[in-house]
Parts: sequence; structure tokens; C-alpha cells
Amino acid sequence: MSTKHISIDPITRLEGHGKIDIFLNDAGDVENCYFQIPELRGFEQFCIGRPVEEMPRITTRLCGVCPEAHHMASAKACDAVYHVEPPSAGRKLRELLYNVFFAGDHALHFYALGGPDFVLGPEASPAERNILGVVAKVGVEIGKKFIQHRAHHSAIMELLGGKKIHQVTSLPGGVSKGLTEEERKGVESRVLEMVEFAKFTIKLFEDVVLKNKAYVDLILSDTYSLKVYSMGLVDEKNRVNFYDGKVRVVDCNGKEFVKYSPNEYLENVAEHVEPWSYLKFPFLKKIGWKGFIEGNEGSIYRATPLSRLNAADGMATPLAQAEYERMYKTLGGKPVHATLATHWARIIELLYAAERSLELVRDPEITSPNIRVIPKETQTEGVGIVEAPRGTLTHHYVTDERGILKKVNLIVGTTNNNAPIAMSVKKAAMGLIKKGVQVTDGVLNKIEMAFRAYDPCFGCATHTLPGQMPLVVTIRNKNGEVLQEIRR
Amino acid sequence: MSRRKNSILILGLGNDILGNDAVGLLAARELKKEFGNNVDVAEAALSGFELIDLLEGYEKVLLLDAVVTKQHTPGTVLELTKEQFKKVVAVSPHYMGLPDVFQFAEKFDITLPKEIRILVMEIEPPLDLREGLDPCIQDSFLNFVERGKNILQNWNIE
Repeated sequence: MSTKHISIDPITRLEGHGKIDIFLNDAGDVENCYFQIPELRGFEQFCIGRPVEEMPRITTRLCGVCPEAHHMASAKACDAVYHVEPPSAGRKLRELLYNVFFAGDHALHFYALGGPDFVLGPEASPAERNILGVVAKVGVEIGKKFIQHRAHHSAIMELLGGKKIHQVTSLPGGVSKGLTEEERKGVESRVLEMVEFAKFTIKLFEDVVLKNKAYVDLILSDTYSLKVYSMGLVDEKNRVNFYDGKVRVVDCNGKEFVKYSPNEYLENVAEHVEPWSYLKFPFLKKIGWKGFIEGNEGSIYRATPLSRLNAADGMATPLAQAEYERMYKTLGGKPVHATLATHWARIIELLYAAERSLELVRDPEITSPNIRVIPKETQTEGVGIVEAPRGTLTHHYVTDERGILKKVNLIVGTTNNNAPIAMSVKKAAMGLIKKGVQVTDGVLNKIEMAFRAYDPCFGCATHTLPGQMPLVVTIRNKNGEVLQEIRR
Repeated sequence: MSRRKNSILILGLGNDILGNDAVGLLAARELKKEFGNNVDVAEAALSGFELIDLLEGYEKVLLLDAVVTKQHTPGTVLELTKEQFKKVVAVSPHYMGLPDVFQFAEKFDITLPKEIRILVMEIEPPLDLREGLDPCIQDSFLNFVERGKNILQNWNIE
């Protein structure tokens, strides 16, 4: 069957860019769709031969979007390599830093990247569909609140992490710097405001999205639904935890499929290779690769804010728990497979991160000077897993007896979601592009919304802020001749 | 928690394990050796809103960066105005960069530097994670640093 070709190709990315190729059949409907993410090469080779204790500082360079996640996963992998457990205060300081990071990152996504689709509408001009457009629509005060939230986040990250970006404080066995009582008070006052901002964000989402029936219908539409397994890190009570715990996977009906410790990840996750993609496609190893299919018979899973909530039995803080219950009640019960509900899940996690930060900074132990255990055992092998904002992040290191790296393997959040993103984009394209439908910028944006919900981080390289990427769409006939080209 | 000591900032942008993308960082480090007592020097591999934190409160900033315009030979050193930078920022690795920062800051009365000089070097797009510069970038590096030095001397920095 002959095909026509639509290509959504960000023309100016350097360190990694997404590209969507849509092929139409003679009837003008979508025949196939490929989502591609180029990957920077050579990270493993770059690391091999280096001392493993350098990894928490090196891996932050991988990504300008979530260096904190790499720093933390790496530090935990190093703990395992050195066979050492951080003391309680050191662990809590790490978790505090990590939750403040989450609160900043999730807010940035909601206000700058994902939220504009709802606040301004999916058909709005790309020039307006950004945080300035949000401010123009709903008021300067919101912009000021956002700036203040970012300032609190930034100041705490610098205090606890040693630097605003590319943190350096987490070491094998704990952290290098504690918190004085005076510093603790300063952090507490900032975190209190972050909690208020998170509550404000929940209210804004309710007013703008939930009170608009068209948006709720859009969220629940089949075009944006994808039934796959859900993955997330949970604590001992199966509640969401970003820093520590076991990885839990539930099936499409919400039933637990597996719960495993970080060092068991290779028994549970494998990676499939497709000739058309630079990036591998992780799947549930115990099921085996079944292709890009939905349902329990498939082996595809998501690792996103929504999947974390699906995989857990609840949230560990009261306000987030209440919002968790409201989300499932509103959307018809657990689990939720509506991709766009990821935005709601993300701000519930924002609220949890702020609340959890407040708990930690008020913990009497947080100012304890007992923040690190000096490693004494010979280094061997270790796996560290945290939840990055974009999904479960795994670092696996193998060293020789001197601690020199022999093997490095990383599975990052966006890689976990490679298959579901491809499937979501295809489903959106099939639902939105029909014969006779003009492929407008609004249509393109609605397709983009299918992958923007995942907050993908292209290339894990530098300063990427997806959602603002320039796009060019080329529509070709079966001979490859350009029929229409749209740039924005 | 501000760490500003001086009214002038040298800001190197880039990623130091992404080959030629590090050229702005390396130039900032070089200039720090000579001018570090009288100016603040910062490095960043970030973009967008985080840049506001770095720029706010300074009177003057010298920004050093790598760009891919594909309009110049790799190693070419260019000085861009803020307006010119707006035109090429989309092909910079610092994607959501200065134009957004300026627009956002203006909207919310955030005081950004009155004078920002932007020196960039044309590079090939980085594809591999590695340290070090390609020979054509290395050959132009001293010129890049010299251009930065001239700007600082014009600001009467010693």
C-alpha cells in the first residue's frame, strides 16, 4: 500500500531532539507513526576507567534538566558498591534535597511546559503557549508566585547540594555537609511557602482544567488513553517515595505484578531494540517482548507521575493523599490510563514533595552531625534506583577491587517511557489526522501533547526544556514530493 | 544566600563533558585567572529560569557560549547583541535561553544587567560525550579569550 509521509521534526536541536514520522495510507488515514529520540553516544566509555566515587559528580553533567536525579541515583549506587548505608541524618538530608528538587522541577513543567496547553488551550498560537502566555491569561500574581517558588527551590538546592546545579554533597555513605539550626530555620520558612504554592497550583488546576468539561473529556478521551503496566518506587507501606524503596509494577487492572529491590532490576527489566530508533525500549522481562501492544498480555510499562500513583496504594502525606483520592474518584477509579491525567498526578506529587520536605526539615534529627559513614569495604558492584521526575532512574556500576569502573549501565526515565510515548503519539495521530483534516498547528500541538505529558528529557545531555521545540511538519505524497510544510 | 562580590560577572555556558560545547566554560576559566579578583566568574550548564538567578543584580555581564548557526566556519568568534542573540538562540544548546530570560524579567521587574556582552564561538554539533576541544576550536580558543579580555579591559577591569 502506498503511503504519504508527515514528519514532525525539530529542526534546531543539538544535543538530542525528538522527531515524529507519520505515514498516511491512500485513504488519508494514519498507517504508522514513529517517535524517535537520538541518544548521545559514549557515556559508558567515558566513565569506564574512572574511580566510581566520581560518578555522583560526573553523571550530573548528563542532563541539564534533572542532574539532581542522576546525582542521587549515582550516590545510592555508590553506597551499594562500597557496601555502606548512610546514617539516618545523612539519608534524611539527601531526601530533603531530593524532594525540594522535585517540587521545583514539577512546578516548572506544569507552569512552563504542560500547563499552557490547558490554560491557553491546545489550539492557541505557539507564540503564546508558554509561561508568559499563562501569566497574560491568568494574571501577573501567578508569575510572581512561580518566581518565588523557583527562588526558594534554587536557594535550598544551593545550600544542601553545594551548588545550584550539578550538586556535589552526596558521597558514598552519606553527605559531606550537614545543616545548622539557623540554616534549618531558613529552609523551613522557604518550604512552608512551597507548600502553599503547591496548594495554590492544585486550586489553579481545579479552576482551569477540572471545571472545564471539555478538558476533562479530552483527558478521558480514547485518543489520549494507553493501557499498559505502571511502575513506581514505593515505601514499606506501598506509598509513593521518590528517594528509596522497592520498585512496584501493577498491571492494567491495578493488581501487583511484581515488587523488586534495586539489585533485582536485571531480572525484571530488559531492553528491546528496533531498527528505526536510536533508543532502546525497556519491557517487563518476565513477560518477554510482545511488541507495541496494550493490555496485560503486553510487556510495556510506564514510569511517570501517573504510573507512580497507579503503582502505589497512596501518598505518605495528608494533603497529597486527599488529592490522590480525589483524582481517582473523579477519573473513575484506579488505575487511570489517561495519559493527560499525568499532569494532575504531577502536581499531586508536587504537593507531596513540598509536604515531605516540611516533614523532613522539622525532623529533630535533620541537624545531627552524624551524616556520613566512612566506607571501609572493598568496592564491587551496586545498583541505585530513585524516581526521577520523568520516571524510574537506575544506575548500575561494576568496579574492580580498587573501585575503578569496569561497567556502567543507566536506564533513565525517558528511556523507560520510550515505548509508551511512541504508542501514545501513534494513537493521538490516528485519532487526530483523518482524510480531509487540515494538519494545522493546533493538530500538531495535540499530537505533541501526547508526549509532552511524559515530560520527556531528550538526550539526557544538556539544558533541554522540551515543549518549546521548533517544529517543521512536512507532508509528502507517495513519491516523496512535498505537499505542505508547516514550521513553527 | 547571594554570593555576589563584584558588580561584573563572567558567565560561561556549556557542558564540560560534551566536547566543543565546553568552549565557553573553558574561556571563563581562563579569564578568571587574570580578572578573578575583580569580577565574579560563574559556569552554568543550564537555561531558562535558572539564568535569572545568576544574572540578577549584576551591572554588567560577559557571556561566553558555543553556538551552531551553520553560517560560519567552526572556530569563528562572534559578538552578538541581545537582539542578534534572539535570532540564533534556537540553534544554541541553551535552548530556552536568554531571550526568554529577558522577556520574563522585563515582565516581572527583575533587574537584569544593563550591559550584556555576548561572545560566542561557532562549533560543530556535539554528538559524543567526551572532554576536550577539536583542533579547529582549540586553534581559535586564544582569540576567543582575547576578545573577552578586550571587553573586560574596556570596562576598566584589570
